[in-house]
Amino acid sequence: MRAYLALVWAVTRKDLLVEFRTYERLTAMGAFAVLVGVLFNFSIDTAVVRPQDIAAALIWMTIIFGGMLGMGRTFRLEEEDGALAGILQSPIPLHALYLGKVLGNFILLSAMATLVFFVFGLFFRLSFSGNPVVLVAIVGLGVLGFVSLTTLFSAMATRSSMGESLLPVLVFPLLVPVVVYGATATDRLFAGRPVVEVGGNLRMLAAFAIIFTVAGAGLFRFVIEE
Amino acid sequence: MSFGLEAVGLVRNFGALRAVDGVSFELQPGELLTVFGPNGAGKTTLLRMLAGVMRPDSGHVRVAGAPADVASRDWRHRVGIVSHQSLLYGQLTIEENLRFYGRLFGLDDLKTRIPERLASMGLSDRARTPVRELSRGLKQRVALARALLHDPEVVLLDEPYTGLDPHASAVLREQLASLKNGRRTVVLVTHNLKQGLELSDRVAIQVQGRFSSVTDSASLDLAELEVLYHAAVENPA
Repeated sequence: MRAYLALVWAVTRKDLLVEFRTYERLTAMGAFAVLVGVLFNFSIDTAVVRPQDIAAALIWMTIIFGGMLGMGRTFRLEEEDGALAGILQSPIPLHALYLGKVLGNFILLSAMATLVFFVFGLFFRLSFSGNPVVLVAIVGLGVLGFVSLTTLFSAMATRSSMGESLLPVLVFPLLVPVVVYGATATDRLFAGRPVVEVGGNLRMLAAFAIIFTVAGAGLFRFVIEE
Repeated sequence: MSFGLEAVGLVRNFGALRAVDGVSFELQPGELLTVFGPNGAGKTTLLRMLAGVMRPDSGHVRVAGAPADVASRDWRHRVGIVSHQSLLYGQLTIEENLRFYGRLFGLDDLKTRIPERLASMGLSDRARTPVRELSRGLKQRVALARALLHDPEVVLLDEPYTGLDPHASAVLREQLASLKNGRRTVVLVTHNLKQGLELSDRVAIQVQGRFSSVTDSASLDLAELEVLYHAAVENPA
């Protein structure tokens, strides 16, 4: 088990090391998050709509669309000088490769999601003091579901001649549960509703994250092998 | 008897195109086979199947007598591959690249093994240089160090001389010559008849996916190989 986790971490560590040398994906996702926050701030008429009432939906849409910018490049990195062939030739189990990629993407997207909450909190004057632990759980599970799915489909898109343009078409329909349950639960927390009211949403987000991570690990080899 | 590397009836199609068509051969440990062939002959596809990166439509590969199935991962520590692509991460240093691949191969003595490999390739003073800053020749040496890091019994070389100047080619040739240490089985794919012939024990010419001939290189000089090559390319079987 320890050896397996070491393999997963080797992939994650390498992905993060490359990212922190270039900041390519973090820059794209971060800039998107800030720009969308600024645009929504100026485009919402506060005389008609209370920003707090629609903040949760906007936050989750920003995470999904911004995240897509970064996740789409998950396997582009491996294709640049044929590195994927080097990994595939190695003895690493392909589900460990997948889980390493998922973990790396989870860390990057969690950083981006934190920025999104910060930007929207600033502009929309949101309070996160009610149930921060539950909020972190909602975001963590939503992000895990998102990256487990996009990592799998990013590998598939890399193998396709349509490349990254194919990714949103494949992924968005399957992401509906993340957006619906994530936004609803976040909305209820912002409205100061009791935690018990978000329990169902949390369970659905957890189920989604587990199902797609397990299914992704199982299906990955059919996507990545030639 | 177990061969170092054995391919039996390998076939791979891409749609209507048959890229590799029934290729079979056996190599003893310590033998070096050079595969020549024109562009599009299926040499790279053959090598990718030997490396377990690509699944054959039919046929199979054995490494040291064990089935080398694409779905299985256990046998892969026996094989190293050098491609015309470096298979390296340009943003990482040489040392970081080797450490990453070392971990994938489950090596636990990387602190000593990496400096040894770098020294053998003349790269010790560049260990912390990002790969993207290296010349093509140095990058190929790093690629070779990566392929040999886990001390594989079978080494597969796909056009390793591509893009190298004469000096870098000569340096790489020295490194490749040292691979023939008596127990390592090597398959070299190249266009260059002279470079391919001087290292090999046996030569094969692949045309339209098939091996048109497999010959002991001891019985061949360069002129004879050129005649054989052009005959095979112009009149495929």
